[in-house]
Amino acid sequence: MTKKFIGKRILRNEDPRLLTGGALFVDDVDIPGMLHAAFLRSDYAHAHLRSIDVSAARERPGVVAVITAEDMGDEWQPGPPLVSPPPTVENVLFNSRTQVPLVKDKVRHAGEPIVLVIAESRYIAEDAVEDIIVDLEPLDAVVDLEKALEPDSVLVHDDLDSNLAAHLVQKKGDYATIRENADLLIKRRIVIDRGAAVAMENRGIVAQWDPKSQHLTVWDTTQAPIPIRNGLAARLGLSEHQVRVIAPFVGGGFGPKMMMFYPEEMLIPWISIKLNRPVKWIEDRRENFYATTQEREQIHEAEMALTRDGRILGVSDVILHDSGAYDPYGLTIPLNTQCHAMGAYDVPNFFSEVTVIFTNKTLTTPVRGAGRPQGIFVVERLLDLAAKELGIDPIEIRKRNFIPPESFPYDHQIIDQAFATLIFDSGNYRPALEKAADMIDFEQFVKVDQPRLRAEGRHVGIGIVSFVETTGVGPYEGARVTVEASGKINVATGVGTQGQGHFTSFAQIVAEQLGVDVSDVHLVTGDTSAFHWGTGTFASRGAVVAANAINASALAVRQKILKLASEILEAPEEELELEGGKVRVADVPRISISLGELAVLANPLRGAVEPGTEPGLEATAYFGPKYGGTAFGAHAMIVEVDTETMMVEIKRYTVVEDCGTVINPLIVEGQIHGGVSMGIGNSFYEKLVYDENGQLLNASLADYLIPSATEMPHIEVSHQETQSPLNPLGSKGAGEAGAIPVPSLFAQALEDALYDYDLEIMEMPLSPNRLFELLHE
Amino acid sequence: MKIDGEYIFDGPREQVWEVVRDPEVLAAALPGTQKLEQTGENEYEGVMNVRIGPVGGVFSGKVIISDEEPPESLTLTVEGRGNPGFVKGSGRVNLSDQGDHKTLMKYNGDLQIGGRLASVGQRLLDTTSKSMIRQGLEALNDALQAREAARIEGGEVDYTPPTETKFMAAVTKDMFGQMFSSPTAKWVVIAVVLIVIVIAAVILTL
Amino acid sequence: MRKLTDVGVSVNGTNYNRSVEPRLLLSDFLRHELGLTGTHVGCEHGVCGACTVLFDGKPVRSCLMFAVQANGHEIITVEGLGTIEQLHPLQESFREAHGVQCGFCTPGILTTLIPFLEENPNPDEDEIMHAISGNLCRCTGYQHIVEAVKLAAQKMSPVDEV
Repeated sequence: MTKKFIGKRILRNEDPRLLTGGALFVDDVDIPGMLHAAFLRSDYAHAHLRSIDVSAARERPGVVAVITAEDMGDEWQPGPPLVSPPPTVENVLFNSRTQVPLVKDKVRHAGEPIVLVIAESRYIAEDAVEDIIVDLEPLDAVVDLEKALEPDSVLVHDDLDSNLAAHLVQKKGDYATIRENADLLIKRRIVIDRGAAVAMENRGIVAQWDPKSQHLTVWDTTQAPIPIRNGLAARLGLSEHQVRVIAPFVGGGFGPKMMMFYPEEMLIPWISIKLNRPVKWIEDRRENFYATTQEREQIHEAEMALTRDGRILGVSDVILHDSGAYDPYGLTIPLNTQCHAMGAYDVPNFFSEVTVIFTNKTLTTPVRGAGRPQGIFVVERLLDLAAKELGIDPIEIRKRNFIPPESFPYDHQIIDQAFATLIFDSGNYRPALEKAADMIDFEQFVKVDQPRLRAEGRHVGIGIVSFVETTGVGPYEGARVTVEASGKINVATGVGTQGQGHFTSFAQIVAEQLGVDVSDVHLVTGDTSAFHWGTGTFASRGAVVAANAINASALAVRQKILKLASEILEAPEEELELEGGKVRVADVPRISISLGELAVLANPLRGAVEPGTEPGLEATAYFGPKYGGTAFGAHAMIVEVDTETMMVEIKRYTVVEDCGTVINPLIVEGQIHGGVSMGIGNSFYEKLVYDENGQLLNASLADYLIPSATEMPHIEVSHQETQSPLNPLGSKGAGEAGAIPVPSLFAQALEDALYDYDLEIMEMPLSPNRLFELLHE
Repeated sequence: MKIDGEYIFDGPREQVWEVVRDPEVLAAALPGTQKLEQTGENEYEGVMNVRIGPVGGVFSGKVIISDEEPPESLTLTVEGRGNPGFVKGSGRVNLSDQGDHKTLMKYNGDLQIGGRLASVGQRLLDTTSKSMIRQGLEALNDALQAREAARIEGGEVDYTPPTETKFMAAVTKDMFGQMFSSPTAKWVVIAVVLIVIVIAAVILTL
Repeated sequence: MRKLTDVGVSVNGTNYNRSVEPRLLLSDFLRHELGLTGTHVGCEHGVCGACTVLFDGKPVRSCLMFAVQANGHEIITVEGLGTIEQLHPLQESFREAHGVQCGFCTPGILTTLIPFLEENPNPDEDEIMHAISGNLCRCTGYQHIVEAVKLAAQKMSPVDEV
């Protein structure tokens, strides 16, 4: 069946509102009588809280309330653990410690909130924050991952006997034995530093309690409105239907907005009920650097065992992972890292030990890539070094190790972040890598252009890497599709949207099934009163899980349409087609009825609804994959390095992306461009710098550099579609793919460009300064 | 942050030592000092207005003097807290006679900085702190000479400490002076001006 | 009670008179005092550009200005460029080229581009990238935005094919 809408570059339904400034973001919510919140946050990364004097703040005119942990009494409780450790792995050690609404005894990271101030305006609230006197007794801060485990280290959590948050070992085959028989062992220490998501919109919450209807409405910049609703209801002693959480337009998520029950999320709804007034809290950019979660920091001792013709015999990866001050998000990130440390390759033996450590820094939770970039960095770097030693070119060595197409589904025998066995559903890696090489004219560059430019004294280099991305994980999502009397289609689902174009891509699926125009499909998402079963937008699952649920419910509606139309038009179902908002007899198109009219007829004013049927043309369906599909990609780039300024210019950048069935290529390309820009940031510009006291030294956009237009190359994207057998649409996720391989690509390309320096890049991110240091070591 | 440097005082070592150990003189020498009281034999508590670029506010804290070897050296330990952040550190101060009524002061120490000062003020910290120290030492030197003059003439000490404004103006001039001495001056100045604007905006809204 | 100052300003062609605190930022004035929430606040330190509005025709960071500084001046915000029924050709182009993802940085980029396109009706890619180098976008990687601007330039000042 040729597709009319799926796979087409349909323009987005939501754009006119966004372009004219008419889209609602959380800070746009304005309710009469609304109060504003500000927080006093700790300057120290680690300190005992001795006393707080809020008297002056309480007296300031315009201040309505000043709340400390003590003031909360019994209602003070830490947030819930969000992800438990995987039950399917043996001998997992996990010490669960979750974030607190307000500091009670001890500050565990700089920026942890100590006092909540509510006032008539944010300006007055911030004035009142300065009135507060807090007596903090500073303690030594735990910052370095390796020092944190030393026996005499200060403890982040005093009730534990070390800073160990978790420990987990995963194995496949027998790495210890196989390494004895290897022709080559590449062993390296790899260090990856912290980075932040830096969505352009900071977080925010508005809460409004209506005592008359006993109903709480919360606007939240969250990627997970449904779990927030459920959790808030439980914490506040309300029934779930008394709470409505709305994630309106959200200015970028990238992961940290999937973290749930941040202190502010716990406090603002609570205080709005207590004060019986709507309350708004909007994070400012500096707070965002402390109070919103971060990611990436890990230290790896990794080793790869190979035969002399470059076949990987096994990989070993011992990982130290920085959890920050608490670990509500379980082992999601390090599990992802482990699952990607074998890359796209057929690796028969694997050993990986993860130790998660508490430090006095901001919490880490998934940020675009969520641990996958680190795993890919390890495997691609070790492979590149092996290639150099064995004299095999980077493309060839990858081809020799790719999981061959006939081996899918490929069982890696370890457990992934969704607690299922890591199985790659489908893939066709070779042609994608070859295409990426082709697009960048790899051979031509290496044989002709590079030697010529090198002879002129220029440092140009080329890199090519491959990667996989586990996507589309469960548990499930759901959707409800309804044909309205107007003929327009209403779709409701639960996943929040932060720019991925759900309003359009999801509409395309419905349009395809029901034969209507994409612009006639109206989507509601991120509003728990419209749909309240589901999890959220994360792990590149929107276009897989929610889309398939929408597809299933659209299909169910289609069947209802055909059944009813068949009766009304007195024609068998097989002879009917849906086109242009109508149902008609294929050979006699003038015999037709519009969907709107049909919807009215399906909702009888007289006559009963038969048992086992429902009124209207509506259906709700759910989709829950047993495990998620694995997408694949290959990136290549040509760079030039100026050895005086250490600035890197990206001359060409090519991407081949295989995310199965593509619903809207325009949207997928946008996701790739955005992902690559984040990856470039993670490789060369972005690094959160903490000093030995746990102080963040670059908490502003002036010092934490995210790529601007002039740092970005032109990216050429090509699609390959190896469908996923795991869902009817055949789709896999694509949201994080752009970011995942970039650090490995940078490292390879820079090493190539600086060939005369014999450079080895085993760390990320770099910077002009750091590159200079590495060259002169 | 490492702090080290040298300064030449116009006076004999014993007088320099006296001046350094005199809280009233110190309080006067560093404008912005609202209060500096001796709370113990070697302990002072104080309240001070500090501005690093546009990041500023009131700091309260204490200074402890230890390992004294008069009139040669001492260790100063400082701890202060305020809205813009916190500061903690210690340093060793060494005085040596240079003859001809001159004393060489050498100082070196380590300062830990946290809070807003550290997270948005990094670019200004180094130059501004160096400059503040130098201006402070110059003020101390003026005070020293005024005392010397009064002692010789037997009259009142005729010394007016610099006002806060004059002090900060001198610090700013210092920073720009350092900037203009380099060939890339123009771009550095523009960058600094931009950063100052940026940080001013941060402070406005913090 | 803080002293209030009178501000008279024209925004998108309409005159407004208000009494505000001198320390009220222009961005907060536009968004919360006048309810024009199209202008977004991303950093409050003048780096991201999301708050850009036109001040007497020139792009400025409204987060770095006080409302009282706008007294007697003319401001254009994104709401003044077009409506859902009638998009400005620049807005149309952004839609056609998929230059919008989350939309948070978009209004600031649009207002930055209006005077740029007036002065450079036929810009090349380099010029466009430099024009928007002061506007941070975390979603798009800028490529489709550059395409959108090329498309808009074509629409707004069509170059006749010879």
